[in-house]
Amino acid sequence: MAANMYRVGDYVYFETSSSTPYQIRRIEELIKTPNGNVEAKVMCYYRRRDISSNLISLADKHQSVVEELEKSKDKEIDQAKESANKETKDPVKDPARDPIQEAPKVLASLSEKERHQLKHRELFLSRQMETLPATAIRGKCQVTLLNETETLGSYLHKDDAFFYSLVYDPAQKTLLADKGEIRVGSKYQAEVPPWVAPSDRSPSPEIERDTLTYSPDHGLDDKTIDQFLVICRSVGTFARALDCSSSVKQPSLHMSAAAASRDATLFHAMDVLHRQNYDISKALCSLVPTSGPVLCRDEMEEWSASEANLFEEALERYGKDFNDIRADFLPWKSLKSIVDYYYMWKTTDRYVQQKRVKAVEAEFKLKQVYIPNYNKNESSLSNLSSSRLCESCYTSTSGQWYSWGPAHMQCRLCSLCWPYWKKYGGLKFPTKMEAVGSVDLSTTGNGATLIPSASSSARGLPAAALVGLPSPNPGVPPLGAAANLALVQQLATMKDGPCRCPMCGKEFKQKAHLVRHCITNHGLNMNLPTAATPNPCMPLSLMRSSSPRPIVKTRAAFYLHTTPQTKQLRRQCKAIIKPRHAARNPFSSVDLATIRLEMQTKPLVGIVPKKMKNRGHVVDVSHRLGMPQIPKPEFLLPTPPEKMYKAFPEAFPHKASLKRAAAQDAAIAAKRLALQSDFSNTPVPANLSVASVPAAAIKSTRKHIGNWNPTQGNQPDDQFFKATSSIKKVRKTKLSLLQIRRFARRATKYAFNMNKPNLAP
Amino acid sequence: MATNIQHSKKRVCYYYDGDIGNYYYGQGHPMKPHRMRMTHNLILNYGLYRRMEIYRPHKATQEEMTKYHSDEYIRFLRSIRPDNMSEYNKFMQKFNVGEDCPVFDGLYEFCQLSTGGSVAGAVKLNKQATDIAVNWSGGLHHAKKSEASGFCYVNDIVLAILELLKYHQRVLYIDIDVHHGDGVEEAFYTTDRVMTVSFHKYGEYFPGTGDLRDIGAGKGKYYAVNFPLRDGIDDEQYTEAVFKPLMTKVMEMYQPSAVVLQCGADSLSGDRLGCFNLTLKGHGRCVEFMRKFNVPLLQLGGGGYTIRNVSRCWTYETAVALGVEIANELPYNDYFEYFGPDFKLHISPSNMANQNSPEYVDKIRTRLFENLRMLPHAPSVQMQTTPEDAIDTDKAKAEDDEAADSGKNDEQRISIRHSEKRVANEEEFSDSEDEGSGQRRDMRTHKPKRHKKGSQGGDTEDTSDAKTEPDTKEEKADAKA
Ligand SMILES: [Zn+2]
Ligand SMILES: [Zn+2]
Ligand SMILES: [Zn+2]
Repeated sequence: MAANMYRVGDYVYFETSSSTPYQIRRIEELIKTPNGNVEAKVMCYYRRRDISSNLISLADKHQSVVEELEKSKDKEIDQAKESANKETKDPVKDPARDPIQEAPKVLASLSEKERHQLKHRELFLSRQMETLPATAIRGKCQVTLLNETETLGSYLHKDDAFFYSLVYDPAQKTLLADKGEIRVGSKYQAEVPPWVAPSDRSPSPEIERDTLTYSPDHGLDDKTIDQFLVICRSVGTFARALDCSSSVKQPSLHMSAAAASRDATLFHAMDVLHRQNYDISKALCSLVPTSGPVLCRDEMEEWSASEANLFEEALERYGKDFNDIRADFLPWKSLKSIVDYYYMWKTTDRYVQQKRVKAVEAEFKLKQVYIPNYNKNESSLSNLSSSRLCESCYTSTSGQWYSWGPAHMQCRLCSLCWPYWKKYGGLKFPTKMEAVGSVDLSTTGNGATLIPSASSSARGLPAAALVGLPSPNPGVPPLGAAANLALVQQLATMKDGPCRCPMCGKEFKQKAHLVRHCITNHGLNMNLPTAATPNPCMPLSLMRSSSPRPIVKTRAAFYLHTTPQTKQLRRQCKAIIKPRHAARNPFSSVDLATIRLEMQTKPLVGIVPKKMKNRGHVVDVSHRLGMPQIPKPEFLLPTPPEKMYKAFPEAFPHKASLKRAAAQDAAIAAKRLALQSDFSNTPVPANLSVASVPAAAIKSTRKHIGNWNPTQGNQPDDQFFKATSSIKKVRKTKLSLLQIRRFARRATKYAFNMNKPNLAP
Repeated sequence: MATNIQHSKKRVCYYYDGDIGNYYYGQGHPMKPHRMRMTHNLILNYGLYRRMEIYRPHKATQEEMTKYHSDEYIRFLRSIRPDNMSEYNKFMQKFNVGEDCPVFDGLYEFCQLSTGGSVAGAVKLNKQATDIAVNWSGGLHHAKKSEASGFCYVNDIVLAILELLKYHQRVLYIDIDVHHGDGVEEAFYTTDRVMTVSFHKYGEYFPGTGDLRDIGAGKGKYYAVNFPLRDGIDDEQYTEAVFKPLMTKVMEMYQPSAVVLQCGADSLSGDRLGCFNLTLKGHGRCVEFMRKFNVPLLQLGGGGYTIRNVSRCWTYETAVALGVEIANELPYNDYFEYFGPDFKLHISPSNMANQNSPEYVDKIRTRLFENLRMLPHAPSVQMQTTPEDAIDTDKAKAEDDEAADSGKNDEQRISIRHSEKRVANEEEFSDSEDEGSGQRRDMRTHKPKRHKKGSQGGDTEDTSDAKTEPDTKEEKADAKA
């Protein structure tokens, strides 16, 4: 049971094609889709065979040089250590080191078979995310960052254990170590002060710069302090009874007592104790000076009900951007008091209500999912009777056989070697056949000229990828590398403002939001520049490993980039791919090996550009039924401005129309009053009426839920809505008659932004 | 309410400014200074407040900050505001301010208060006016000399350690935040007067440093200790297999006269950014363990992004510092609703998988022990004279503790058990017999020196096991004798 329960953070095998090895992924998120399916958002790990051999051999070759360098450096360092005092720099850790090559001594102790199998255990982390259906999960595995204390051999003895040490960037085709660096030099280290011998120490006549606010060295016992605290609360309750504004807010004694028991009173009590030198009687007297009993109120109590309403409305509109909330809604409050209030507001019932709504949303994010064992007949089961031996272990007997490799070669694996192939992506023994297999099955440097970049990412992907259909989880098309870099640079230099992508131009208040937007909506890849030469104008913080925050969650991450070569391939191998069939069956797999063989054997067919058919403009087709020549009927033509209806300016309005307007106002006011009984008589702040005016009334219509909180008493307040001249102007100029009518009828339903009145409601 | 159960009372100074909770990093930012205020209110309502000296720290001056940071960087922090950010575009990139480390209202004041508390704590410890100083607003361990990083702008830890170094020859820094304490490690990477020990998640994780192989450079070689961990480590493994054995060894080998403990609470289970599976008990056990060494201790905050758990944790660790036990039932306070639905102090671990196999942890620990064995037993300059202050406080403490004798035995028993474990390990992995015995000889030869001024240290030989703990233990015995 537990074995089939998959949780966020688990490393799992995914089957995306029956003939290829599983893909190794880490579950980052489990999402329940509206139709009840579960999707897994996963982080991709690549196998050695998934990465071009050029890159692997480059890293390997590079490594041997580094090895030599390090050895000699280590010697130097040991010598340097003897001669102490000199500052020596530690061996420079090269970004690209491959553990398999790194430990030749260890490897020497392994048999050739083990060395061969070890290569199947090495993975490369990528920061690429994709979304896969959870039903394609085929079991758990374990992926760990290789640690030098571990022997590589230990991985061979564990099933489903993999290691990684390098990060692969599939877009840039680079490998690098994900490793920060401690820098050495006067620019980085602290200057350590000399130690002062006790005899040389000055008797520290320093003035105490920190303020003592409480000291435990007093004669009072716990009980006395507790009693004193009770008295402070009582005084506070009495003070609220005397205070007019409090008695309005807290109509019951119970509420006053609750308000007087908040932490502000208690902190004050401790302060008083300290200031009166822990003399209880003095402290008591200072609680009730001649001016009246001391009243301590925190922000929660200080704020009026109308301010609370304004705050909630602002929060709904602006989110937790307290600077903007202050500027546009509560300019008479300090930012500190708004933040203070916010955190207290979160303890109220109103917030709890909102949280429940959020909790329902969160239900779609699952913590775990149960996937039963996969027992379906695998399509790779070979029915061919053949005398061929297992390609991996050369056995001739097996209960079941699985066809493996390109179809025309009719290779097959036994029932033991097949799961090995699926899990580890290789054959158990280094054979000639595997060399063939790797030419056929994995991307090689040479192959790259024929079936380039796209192939490595396309292999193992469903047919949809090759055909270019949107996959069931359409990803965001990635930007080209150049465009990506340009965008990253732009982001680096700009602070906020509109998105610079063509056809977008969305405005953002904060750069972080803008970056997030670009990543999710435009497929911006922040990691690209890290892989390339570090770009000096890139702020470090744009990269993942430089931020403690998790990487931006993208909606989906497997995408298709159709290169010209892929396009050509589609055309040339039409018979094998059967694009129409594949389009209808996006998940059926395409036999890449055969395709490759086809590409290698047949001469290249130059692409014959197809003649473009003139099908007319799509707009014309859709709007005019493909007959743009038909003259527009008169009713489709816009009314010329001079024929537009103009309201007759009423210099001396009729009494009747005035009455009508008054009645309308009264009706609106009555409705609003009924809906929000406690909107206070505080006038609407001036800037509110400029920046965003509710269509006919103030929008906040949330009913109060019975709330014990003393500050949220249900006091009906008088209120009125004053139409200022600017509002009147808007009504006259920016609103259509229809809109005004609609607003008048449903005064509380609509709100609109003064600046963009046309967008309302 | 808090009840005194534990024997050893210690003087605790606690630094807090009532304004700290009102600084706001910005919408959606996981760092919330409000967690310090939640902690403070819990501390009040648990009755811990009345057992400590409470200080409102001074605002650290530019001069204080530039004891480590570059002038230009601090000047920049002082000048930048949300409304003049555009004028500082170039500098913002240079100093890595803007994204994770945003410009917010009162940024500089926030740094001043956080730093002020930590430095004030260090001064207090230097004056021997307290045993433990606590500043939950500090512990911002990622800040670099001229660069903000990982929500940290001014490295209050480095500044506090620099203060301690005036009076202490060797300062030990311990970091139990889930992230590597890179800022502190970098600042003291080439000195042997500060040893930095960090336990952290390593591998595809911020800040990317903290490899087992990063051990310091130059004179500081072997004085940086990094324990890389994987996801999901639990209380038992973290404290018993990782923290205690390593710290026992470090205390024995390095013998610091002051300890700075960064208690980042993002290593707790369920943290918004973390990936460990610790509860308050495991986290707090580390604090408790370090407290028992009776070395001046500066206890700082740090990361922690599930704020209800952060305030639980730091409240609990304040109680640990005081040596009092507090009820699991949370007292009513202004933020009580945050702690629903259970309203309990302690949290439960999750069912996440622990990816740290016992073998993995063993191997790392062994490797670190090997590195620690490279330390010279009497760290060069430091042993010339004995710091008077350390001995004086220890004596005072020993007197304090006399009333609670039974408890001390308890402590000793624990330490002995650990030393056995340690010795076993040492036997198992030591390269040669000679090396091992030579080290022990070294220990003995330098011990009496340290006790020169500590009255009649006759019984250093009888408790060879107790040597795993710092000399304070023996000095206590001395004082009694
Ligand atoms: Zn076989
Ligand atoms: Zn955009
Ligand atoms: Zn952290």
